[in-house]
Amino acid sequence: MDLIRHLRCFLAVAEERHFGRAAELLGMAQPPLSQRIQRLERELGVRLFERTSRQVTITAAGTMLLEDARLLLARADALTATARRIREGESGLLRAALPPDLAAEAIAAILAAFRQHRPGVELELHELSTTEQLARFTSRELDVGLVRHPCDIAGLELGPVLLRELGVLLPGGAPAAALDEVPLAALTGYGLVLFPRAEAPALHDDVLNTCARGGYTPATVRQGSGTGFVRGLVLSANAVAFAPRDTAPDDAAGPHADIVWRPLAGAPLAWRHSVAWPRGRGDAAVGAFAEAASRALWNTAAMTADAPARPLHLRPAAEYWL
Amino acid sequence: MNDTRRRIAAAFTEAGVSGRLHAVDIDSGTEIDAGADHPVVTASVHKLCLLVALHQQAAAGLLDLTEQVECPPADRSAGPTGLAAMLDPVRMSLRDAAYLMTAVSDNAAADLLLARLGLDAVNGATARLGLTRTRAVHPSFRSLFATIRKDAGPAGASALADPRVLARLRALDPARSNRSTPRDMTRLLTAVWRDEACTPEHGVAIRRLLGLQVWPHRMAAGFPFDDVHVAGKTGSLPTVRNEVGVIEYPDGGRYAVAVFTRAANPAATLPAADAVIGTAARIAVDALRARP
Repeated sequence: MDLIRHLRCFLAVAEERHFGRAAELLGMAQPPLSQRIQRLERELGVRLFERTSRQVTITAAGTMLLEDARLLLARADALTATARRIREGESGLLRAALPPDLAAEAIAAILAAFRQHRPGVELELHELSTTEQLARFTSRELDVGLVRHPCDIAGLELGPVLLRELGVLLPGGAPAAALDEVPLAALTGYGLVLFPRAEAPALHDDVLNTCARGGYTPATVRQGSGTGFVRGLVLSANAVAFAPRDTAPDDAAGPHADIVWRPLAGAPLAWRHSVAWPRGRGDAAVGAFAEAASRALWNTAAMTADAPARPLHLRPAAEYWL
Repeated sequence: MNDTRRRIAAAFTEAGVSGRLHAVDIDSGTEIDAGADHPVVTASVHKLCLLVALHQQAAAGLLDLTEQVECPPADRSAGPTGLAAMLDPVRMSLRDAAYLMTAVSDNAAADLLLARLGLDAVNGATARLGLTRTRAVHPSFRSLFATIRKDAGPAGASALADPRVLARLRALDPARSNRSTPRDMTRLLTAVWRDEACTPEHGVAIRRLLGLQVWPHRMAAGFPFDDVHVAGKTGSLPTVRNEVGVIEYPDGGRYAVAVFTRAANPAATLPAADAVIGTAARIAVDALRARP
């Protein structure tokens, strides 16, 4: 008996609770599906489902076996993915992407952690924006990457979501610079320097929306990405900018000594990252990269786990209800 | 054509969504294809299939649209509109339940009709019209929402802001949820408007209900013209915003348009993501109308 194939049938019926729908999901007819389930029950010596004319319910024994079945199938998928990599002549090479704004220290930590766990796999690193990463997942030119949310996650599997809380860069002479923590509303009167909207429209809008929600509607929004340019605008254009702590300047001598970094009160803004890979293509090397990147970012980039949930008021036009 | 597709793609990107669209001139068959054959999650757009199935059964004499159904509050599917939001016992006709299901996407009314017809009748109706890529797999809207609750875990709706939770929702995977393609949906609308889905008498009834839909924020927003008629059915789930409908101009031009989107931002309130459905539909209809 092909145990993996039979377990896939078991899982499909357990999830769909319907032989017809499970058969459709598996791309097979219903009678052979029923036969496979019976065969699996004989082989395991355990009854997995109770069947009545109208419905299928999983037995207590079936429930106990379900988690093991899931784990076994996930391992089987990983094995197949590794085999495919070997077959496609890419054995020992993992194509991975990191976003441009990651600190050198974080990148070094990812590389070190990955090498330690997967010494036999060569890591081919690319510096790519989230949009570029998603395009390369589709064209199968990339195995794994570190994306910034929100982005279109259809067809992707994700690692844990990590938060890089944002603070504000402001001129040292600004009244708000005297505060230990700056409420968004205290930035009123200053313009905002933000990355170009075309880079990530959803995130751009989300930042401005959060500012407005916090009582800060910038008089002007200027485009800027490069660290030096952003700081130049903060000094010259009566503007502020948001930046994670790990990219903040030290309050010390240097070309931008007149700029200070302060945390935002209540941490309303954050960059959210997670490792992502195309669904069904995660293998051991991808897993090792996900683990290495999550761990390294946690340690170096002042990452935290997800923020506490805010109230959610679904409006009637949402159509769904939970 | 390429310029139209490029403008539609730019509008979707600008609004922070991934979108698929198919638009077709109901009388000439001329079309705009911007991802028309991409598998999509239908969500409440599938209520249109249910609406057509109901009228087909009525046309076949299998049920009477004035037949009364009981909707006791205890066993009502939850939702923010219509019967689903009401507190007291209700008794109404099948066709009035169909009105609530269509006009305000009433989940309880839809589940009453689904219970009366059965899932096979809905899939039979779409199959007979040749919609080979359209399929309802959830026996009720209640069961569709139950998969979301189960996949979201104990944190409930607030967990839906987490991309990792969204990535594992079965309800958002066309392989495991109610599904179709933009092309299948314009084909269904074309059949309804050409009286090929059921008898002319029932066609009128379906078109009336689709014209009574209350939502102004999606497809209708793209056509701010008092002399243009918009009829349609929306569908929404976390990150999913859809609408399929027919736009009718006073010169007789009529266009079936299906737009299915996924927003990058998991927020529930995203006016720009709703409005781009109208923007994209308008670009497509303008292009169809400009054809000689």
